[in-house]
This record gives sequence, structure tokens and C-alpha cells, in this order.
Amino acid sequence: MPSLNMNADPKRPTLRKNRFSLPSLEGWLYVLPSFLLFIIFLFYPMVRTVYLSFFYTDTQGKPLSFAGWENFTTLLSSTSFLTSAKATFLFVLYTVPVGVILALVLALLANQKMKGIGFFRTIFSSTMGMSVAASSVIWMFIYNPSIGIANKILNFFGLADMHFLLDPNTALLSVAIATIWMNTGFTFLILLGGLQNIDSQLYESARIAGVSSYYSFRKITIPMLSPTLFFVLTVTMINSFQSFGQIDILTKGGPTDSTNVIVYSIYKDAFINYNIGSASAQAVILFLCVFILTVIQFKLGERKVHYQ
Amino acid sequence: MKKLWMVSILCMLIFMTACSNDAANTEESSGDGKTEVIFWHSMSGELENVVQEVADGFNAEQDEITVTPVFQGTYEEAITKFNTVAGTEDAPAIMQTFEVGTKYMIDSGKIQPVQKFIDDEGYDMNQWEKNITNYYSVDDTQYSMPFNSSTPVLIYNKDAFKEAGLDPEKAPETYSEIKEAAKKLTKDDQVGFSILNYGWFIEELIAVQGGLFVDNDNGRSGNAEKAVFNGEEGLKVFELISEMHKEGTFYNTGQNWDDIRAAFQSGKIAMYLDSSAGIRATVDNAPFEVGAGYLPVPDGVDRQGVIIGGASLWMAKDIDEEKQRAAWEFMKYVTTPDVQAQWHLKSGYFSINPAAYDLPVVQEEWEKYPQLKVTVDQLKNTIPSEATQGALISVFPEARQKVVSAMESLYQGVEPKEALDRAAAEIDQSLEAANRKNGSQ
Repeated sequence: MPSLNMNADPKRPTLRKNRFSLPSLEGWLYVLPSFLLFIIFLFYPMVRTVYLSFFYTDTQGKPLSFAGWENFTTLLSSTSFLTSAKATFLFVLYTVPVGVILALVLALLANQKMKGIGFFRTIFSSTMGMSVAASSVIWMFIYNPSIGIANKILNFFGLADMHFLLDPNTALLSVAIATIWMNTGFTFLILLGGLQNIDSQLYESARIAGVSSYYSFRKITIPMLSPTLFFVLTVTMINSFQSFGQIDILTKGGPTDSTNVIVYSIYKDAFINYNIGSASAQAVILFLCVFILTVIQFKLGERKVHYQ
Repeated sequence: MKKLWMVSILCMLIFMTACSNDAANTEESSGDGKTEVIFWHSMSGELENVVQEVADGFNAEQDEITVTPVFQGTYEEAITKFNTVAGTEDAPAIMQTFEVGTKYMIDSGKIQPVQKFIDDEGYDMNQWEKNITNYYSVDDTQYSMPFNSSTPVLIYNKDAFKEAGLDPEKAPETYSEIKEAAKKLTKDDQVGFSILNYGWFIEELIAVQGGLFVDNDNGRSGNAEKAVFNGEEGLKVFELISEMHKEGTFYNTGQNWDDIRAAFQSGKIAMYLDSSAGIRATVDNAPFEVGAGYLPVPDGVDRQGVIIGGASLWMAKDIDEEKQRAAWEFMKYVTTPDVQAQWHLKSGYFSINPAAYDLPVVQEEWEKYPQLKVTVDQLKNTIPSEATQGALISVFPEARQKVVSAMESLYQGVEPKEALDRAAAEIDQSLEAANRKNGSQ
């Protein structure tokens, strides 16, 4: 089924012609303040990062001599960067699908009309109100091998202690679980908003037609929610790629680099080891990865999105 | 729909309050003709108050200079901030930097060695503890003023020792004694021994045997080119950890200081290595008797002593001479016996000025906390050498990460020799890159 915006394509060139004509100058003026902010805090640092990624730098981040592609080739041939890349992709894989499905289930539950539902909505979205630092500290205590509640629960069921954050096999998964918990509030809230915007008449007609609730979920809820779901998926994926706080607080990239995701590796290289050139190169690679994945997501995902 | 709005507004409010934190106030207020000295430090929690007290004491004593301590986050964060303002008028007059940042600060060229003021004034440096000033003295130049210095000590649970039939007044001193004690102490939920996954402890355990960390006399007679900690001394340390971990008498507590301390307080581990600066809080918080002992050595090895850890105070170069003088005045004040006594007792860090130890206040506290005295004795008994002076390398923070990775790989069953060699090879690369950079500057 062709989507609506594909039909809109042929019209675009005519729009573009008018973009820089006089009347739109006023429009540009309106945009100017935020555009300036973007240039200062986003575009300039981005260009500078790309620039620095081709240089050897001193400890203050001043370029010393041109390095060509060397920063990139060293990275791509170093095992520690490849470990980082693998950890990053695994982390995204662990957090995004589970996080979105969990939030969707909670949103469906909270979308019922019943007494006291406001309480549950507040609870489900409450993690949104917590900073990453505060929630990470909570999870740090939960996972603590000697005094944490996670091990107490395991012991209660007769299971042996686990070293959640200290074992390279479980560390990434443990951080992922904490991250899912942290992100649920935001995802839940957006999805609930999407659910509430669905016209209730559609469900009423479905009920009159006597279809099963599963059928109406598949044929009404999912298509009508698809723009929201698509937005949530894209945003959580990008977020997940950029996760930093919880890793810094929970594992510091350890043990044996198993949670050293690219963002953390950039931080370590730039601000602990002062290799600004190499850190910039990593940032460029991460940017390209996120960019490409987002484009793919738009190309593939948007076909399934139903815009009203 | 209305409800949803309420919820989202509520969430926004919580979110905003959670995110807002007051930025450090670095405004200068020198309208009254006093010289303002900004002092950047990384002492958090209780220690921040102690630093403030020291500055207040100085400000009250004279009326020419005002010292304003500003907390700048951890040592790593503070050094990054310093980096951005170094060499400008905005640089703080005094900057506290951790010991492994020493070479980095010297190489930056943005600092003024305090030696200049020592020479100008004929200041008697002999009143400072030699074993501490040694670390911050390079090529016979005193670069910075030691401020908070600490060393590693063995901390143990005396009650657990009694229960296991060990003498609680005698701390294990050699590796075999540690192993034996740990075996007896490991039962039920309790594990015998632990070391934090932190490079500093490995450096210390090597230095106490007289081993070097890098070549060129620990980087003190020239730029270090190769890591040498994978020699015989390092291997003994790693073998100890590896063997004990396999036996189940060594507990891996990760990289977090709070975690290892919590494990000790909760009785999960009976012996561990800690910084002397943490000792007082540990004794106060523990629900059992706490003992302190020297850093253990392998059997048949003569104890060489410990490297000084902690941090020192640096003076910025490109600021007014007047401010530098004022900063120097404050540094001198900090090293007086009275201030040092107060500092030692409240923080657990060493006194830079040994005269402080003879003051009655210190002697009284030592009666109450004999553990503090153990740390001081260990430092006094240190034999000065390149090994105990500590390594001087610019890529120290990076080197520590590699050592931590090597420690962590031990728990995964990697052979000690292999883990050490891998870390050493990686550090060699970093050293080479750093030397190349310095060469091209």
C-alpha cells in the first residue's frame, strides 16, 4: 500500500522554488535565534569534531599535525574499539525492543477507563522524573553483590549470589535492564498519549461488528499508533546509542571493557587520556552509524506507518 | 485527556527539579582591595568542609588575602576544566591535582614550580616530610606543594580474626600469611581477602618489593619508554590474586571504593587493602573492631615501603605575580603544624609537616585511633628509592585502566603472565604515542 507522503513527492520541487523568495525572509528572521543556537552548540562542534578527527592533537585538544586517515585506520584495526562497537550494538539490541514492548504493554493497560487509573499512570511514567544519575545510583545499590537487594532475592529463592556488574558476561545485560527501567517512563507517556488520540468511534464500530479484541488491536490500535511507535522507536534507538550516565556510574566501561560502549570510550579517550584526535574519530564513526541506521529506519519503517 | 496532561506536567516538574543543580560560583569579589586567590579542589563530602575550614582559618588570620576554595568535581574532571583555562588570566591561582597528574602538569608548561618561591625566600623545606616531597620533586625542583597524601594499608576485621582462631593483634605481613589467614577466614558468607580493582594498589604492591613500574628509573631519569611492571615483582602480585581467587579466598568487589568498603562493613570480606585516608571513617562505621597493618610483601622479600598517593597543590603560571605571592602565602599556612594536625585528624590524610605528629591533639587521637599511627609509621619506615618515589608518566590514567583490565581478566581465568604482558604491551603503545606527541611539539 503506497503511503501518503510518497504521493506528495512530485509536488516538492514547486515548493522549493519559492523557498528563498522575499516573503520568506521574514520567516528566516523568526528562525534566526534558534538557528544561531544550533550553529554555536551543534553545527560548529560537529564540524570541529570532523576536523579534529584528521589530526594528532596535544593534551589541550589543539591540532599538532595532519594525520590523514590514521586515527580511523588505527581505530578500525584495534580490538578494543571493535569490542566497543560490539557492546554498543548489543546494548541497543537489548534495550530498544524490550523497552518499547514493555512500555506499550503498560500503556495498553493504563489506557483502560477505570477508577484510580491515574495512580497507575503516574507510577508507570514516574521514572521519567528521575535523572539518570539518581536512577543509576539506585541500581548500583540493587546490584551491589554484598548488600544489594537483587542478591537477597536470589538467595530467598535458593539461588547463588550473582556478580551482576562484575562479571563480563552479565554486566552489559545488567546495565541494559537498568536502562530499560529508566526509559520506560518516557516511552510509556508518549505511547499513552498516542493511544488516547485514537478516535474511540473506531473501537465502538469494531465492537458493534463483533470482532475480537485481538483483531481490533491488530487492525485499529497498531495502525493508528504507528506514527507514535515509529517516533518512539527512532528516539529510543538514538538515545540508546548515546547512553553514558548509567555506564559511567555503574561500570565505568568495565569489567574487561565489556560495557565500554562507544560513547564511553569517546569520553575516556578525550577526557581521561586526552587523545582528542582519536576521540573525535570515534565520534564521527558513531555519528555515521546512527545516521545510517536512522535513514534505514525511515526508509523501511515509514512504509508501515499509517499517517491519518 | 485532562488527566494525562496533569501527569505530564507533574513529570515535567519533577524532571526539571532533578536536572537543575547549582553551578559552582566562581565570581571574584575583590572589591575590598584584598588579593583573591581561587583554589580549585576535588575534596568532596566531609572533606570539602575541612578544606573550607582551613581557608576560613587563613582568611581570618590576616587581612591581605582571601582564599576561596571551589569544588570542581573529581580529580579527572577538575584537570579537564583546568586544561581549558590553563595559560589564561582565568586560571585558578591554586589547583589541586592527583599524584598521577604530576607529569601531565609539568609537561603542560602552564604551571609555576613552587621551587621559585622556596629559593626566593630561603624557605626551609626540611620541615616537610621527605617521603612525601620526594614524589613531587623532579630533577631537584619542587614542582608542587603536597597537600593531601595517603598510602595503602591492610585493613582487617579483628572480630572475625578472633572467631577464626587468629591473633587479632598481629596483622598478616607476607603473602603466605595472607593466604593462610584468608583460608581460615573464608567460611559461610565471609570471604578472606579483597583488593579493589584499581591500578594504584598494583603499583604499590610492586613498589613495596622494590620493583619499578616503567623504565628509565620509573620515568625519573628520562621519559619512560617501556612498562616494566610485568617483571618478577608484578607477577608475584598477580599470581597471588589469581591463586586466591581460584581457591575462593579472594572476593572481587569491582572498581568502586564504596562497594569494597560496604563489603567490609557488612562482613562479606574480612581483610582488604584501603587508602589510609579512608581509615578513620572505616573505624567509625564498622560494627566490629578494626585492625590496620602494613602492605603485605611476598615471602623472603625486604619491605621497601610505600609510594605516596593523594594530591598536591599547583600554582598557575600566567597569572599576576601578586596572586602567585598570595597563593604561596596560603601554601605556607597550610603546611604549619597546627593546620596539618587538624587536617590529619579530620581527614586521615598525612601531615606534610611531621612536627604535627608531636602535638598533644594528635597524640590524644592516636590513643583513640591507633590505626592512624600504623599508616604514619609505614610511611616513616619507607626507604627512599626510585621504586618508592613512584613512577612519573604522562599517560598514567590510561595505564591504570589497562592494569585494571588485566586484573579483571584474572577473574576470568586468564594466566597472570599473559594478563600482565598484554597490559604492558598496550601501555608501551600509549607511551610511544605520548613521546611522539611531545617530540613533535
